[in-house]
Amino acid sequence: MRVRVLYLIAAAATAAAIALPLWGFTMSAPQYPDESLHLQVGRTGISGDLHEVEALQKYIGVRFPTELPELRPATFGMAALAGLLLLAALTGPGRFGRAYRALCAVLFVLFLGASAVVVQTRLYTVGHDRDPNAPLRAIADFTPPLVGPVKVGNFTVWSFPHAGGVLLLAGSILSVAGLFVKPAGGTEAAAARRLSRKDAA
Amino acid sequence: MKRHPVLLVAASVIATVIGVQTLGCGAARSARSIAAEQVYVPPGELDKYYGFLSGGQSGSVFVIGVPSGRLIREIPVFEPRAAYGYALLESDPRRQLLESTGGLWGDTHHPMLSEKGGIFDGRYLWINDLANGRLARIRLDRFEADRIIKLPNLQGAHGIAVVSPDTKYVVVNGEFEQPTDGMVTNPAPYTSVVAFVDPESMEVKFEVRVNGNIDIADTSKDGRYAFSTVYNLEQGKDMGSMIQYDRDAVAAIDIPAAEAAVAAGKGEVRNGVPILDPAEVTGILTLIPVPKNPHGVNATPDGRYVIASGKLSPTVTIIDAHTLQIVAEPEVGLGPLHTTFDNRGNAYTSLFLDSQVVKWNIDKAVAGADDYIVDRINVHYNIGHLQAVGGDSMKPAGNYLLALNKLSKDQYLPVGPDLPENQEIIDISGEKMKMLAAFPTPPEPHDATFLEASVLEPIVQQVYTPGEDAVVAGQESVVRTGPGSVQVNMTLLRSAYTPDSFEVREGDEVTLKITNVETIRDMIHGFALPDHGFNMALPPGDTQVRTFKAGKPGVYWFYCTNFCSALHLEMRGRMVVQPKDSVITLTDWHSGANVAGQVVPGVPSTGASQ
Repeated sequence: MRVRVLYLIAAAATAAAIALPLWGFTMSAPQYPDESLHLQVGRTGISGDLHEVEALQKYIGVRFPTELPELRPATFGMAALAGLLLLAALTGPGRFGRAYRALCAVLFVLFLGASAVVVQTRLYTVGHDRDPNAPLRAIADFTPPLVGPVKVGNFTVWSFPHAGGVLLLAGSILSVAGLFVKPAGGTEAAAARRLSRKDAA
Repeated sequence: MKRHPVLLVAASVIATVIGVQTLGCGAARSARSIAAEQVYVPPGELDKYYGFLSGGQSGSVFVIGVPSGRLIREIPVFEPRAAYGYALLESDPRRQLLESTGGLWGDTHHPMLSEKGGIFDGRYLWINDLANGRLARIRLDRFEADRIIKLPNLQGAHGIAVVSPDTKYVVVNGEFEQPTDGMVTNPAPYTSVVAFVDPESMEVKFEVRVNGNIDIADTSKDGRYAFSTVYNLEQGKDMGSMIQYDRDAVAAIDIPAAEAAVAAGKGEVRNGVPILDPAEVTGILTLIPVPKNPHGVNATPDGRYVIASGKLSPTVTIIDAHTLQIVAEPEVGLGPLHTTFDNRGNAYTSLFLDSQVVKWNIDKAVAGADDYIVDRINVHYNIGHLQAVGGDSMKPAGNYLLALNKLSKDQYLPVGPDLPENQEIIDISGEKMKMLAAFPTPPEPHDATFLEASVLEPIVQQVYTPGEDAVVAGQESVVRTGPGSVQVNMTLLRSAYTPDSFEVREGDEVTLKITNVETIRDMIHGFALPDHGFNMALPPGDTQVRTFKAGKPGVYWFYCTNFCSALHLEMRGRMVVQPKDSVITLTDWHSGANVAGQVVPGVPSTGASQ
């Protein structure tokens, strides 16, 4: 029973992440007191203080991507994972169930790993593929980390998982944790029920 | 070793003198640092109060922080100010309004805040123009004059007051007499009027005729009476004849009675405004005799009394604000002009001749006690108005008082013969007043009022939301609207004008519509056009439209006057003026990237040729 709840939660968290911003960036500088700039990346693309960031980025030749085609497969991936986890909540304690749940966990971790690689590549490109004719020459190439700060000129840019990102992480942790929790449905009565079902089959 | 007694005595005397000197200095230093700490607002921290000082003959309002005395902003009102792009160009509607109501100059005296329940609500600030009989309203969400009216039937709009407790009217006193019958030369029928202005519509609802010169205004806290000091009941036309009578008056206009008379259709309508004559409509005006040529009139915060200052008499006259009876007339010093209040029953009166502020206890003075004078403090010099924080509301703060001095003499580094005015901040929180700090201003604040900063915090705007008339980024254009006219629709964004060039013919009427499409605070862009008398200042989100005639053929580089960014100096563009008879064949601004990443289309303006 407990395992089912756990997978239901993991499925719900993963589904909710689709609707929420996944990753966030906060940019602060001395001349932006109490008004740091915020960007969020979600299913529909980048949102937030885009107007201001676009006004600023041309000084250092940064081309913040306006289109993120990888968001489509990512959204599909999240939806698929949510569906798989939902099914995982229905699986039994048997070998098939365990194998299925292990597959879910592996897929989830792979999905996160692949996403991290894609995002980090994007971030690297932002900091390196810059307009050589940009007015400000003082800024060296930079790579914002997936999580953490980077100094770009007078700005400190913080990257961090947003609500959706946190839910995805939670979903993946739950799906892995589920492998180590004894199925609560393992009472004798339930086992007997399952056995009888199996017999019937 | 043998010591000489005389030497010993001498040594001890010297030691004592040194000791006293040192201790004395120490005490003086600590008093200084205590005073300094009271007004010191460290960089980056904010003042507790806004202070609004009239700019006098500067025609503006100065905004300072209290207690620091730091000048934060000048709000131009009755005079063009190029730095703010205010009323500078003939096509500026604000300039047209100034020109049509009395000219490009004004003399501001009394800043008055809107009230709700007897407390300042931070919506509006009204300011008068004594010289040209005008009243302006400043919106405190924008710190901008939004309405300016010419008051009919009066000259010399001097004292103004907001009718307590809920700003039913703004009262404006006409100081200079006007002929009532259209005759200009015969002085006999000259009278003055008090105007009652609706605070929202800024329409003059009615006026009440008063003989003599109506000076300073205040209202009773319950909204029943509008009080004004009146001098020259003699109706003399020169100084000698103005000071003959022993007593002049405080005029108390019964507002509900006047409203009822107007509703009953009484009063002669002149220039669209009904004027009530107390000789014909009885019961609307009570004249309370006070020593001759009085000046200030101030209602006490508790609403019990109204106090008239003697000016030429060393007294203040305390009048019951309900019965209109004089209850006391205590002596306070030479040249009493204005009175303000703390929250502990004390009044503070400015003494012009004594160059002092005198603190006195109202209850004691009314009771006839001998010890009603609490304290006196010297100010520098010849104080006019004074105002304590909230002293003109029903909730005085009792902490700071500003002395607005007319002369500064030796108080600042000499700057030639035209010296600044001197404003002094005084601590009134204790029994004794303490001088804290002083700061100079340009000419010439008369009166001040203070507003708690927290009141404006939710009200004041920092970035405007572009209206429907705004030029949208990406939709800029240059359009020839006729054989002799061009319209340029432009946006501003760090660090570029879009379009960054346009082409016109000599004598073309160029309409420039500009939107600053910035979205963060303090990102103001200017638009200066050489040799066309042209500067605009656009706060973020603002849209302005100006029209001008293109000058002689040539290239004119317009540029940004408000330092904005690392590419501020590069923020410029060209207006190319071709000879009158030329056929413009070029597009008005080049297509392509004007700043990295920003591609703008070229738009020809050659739709209509000669």
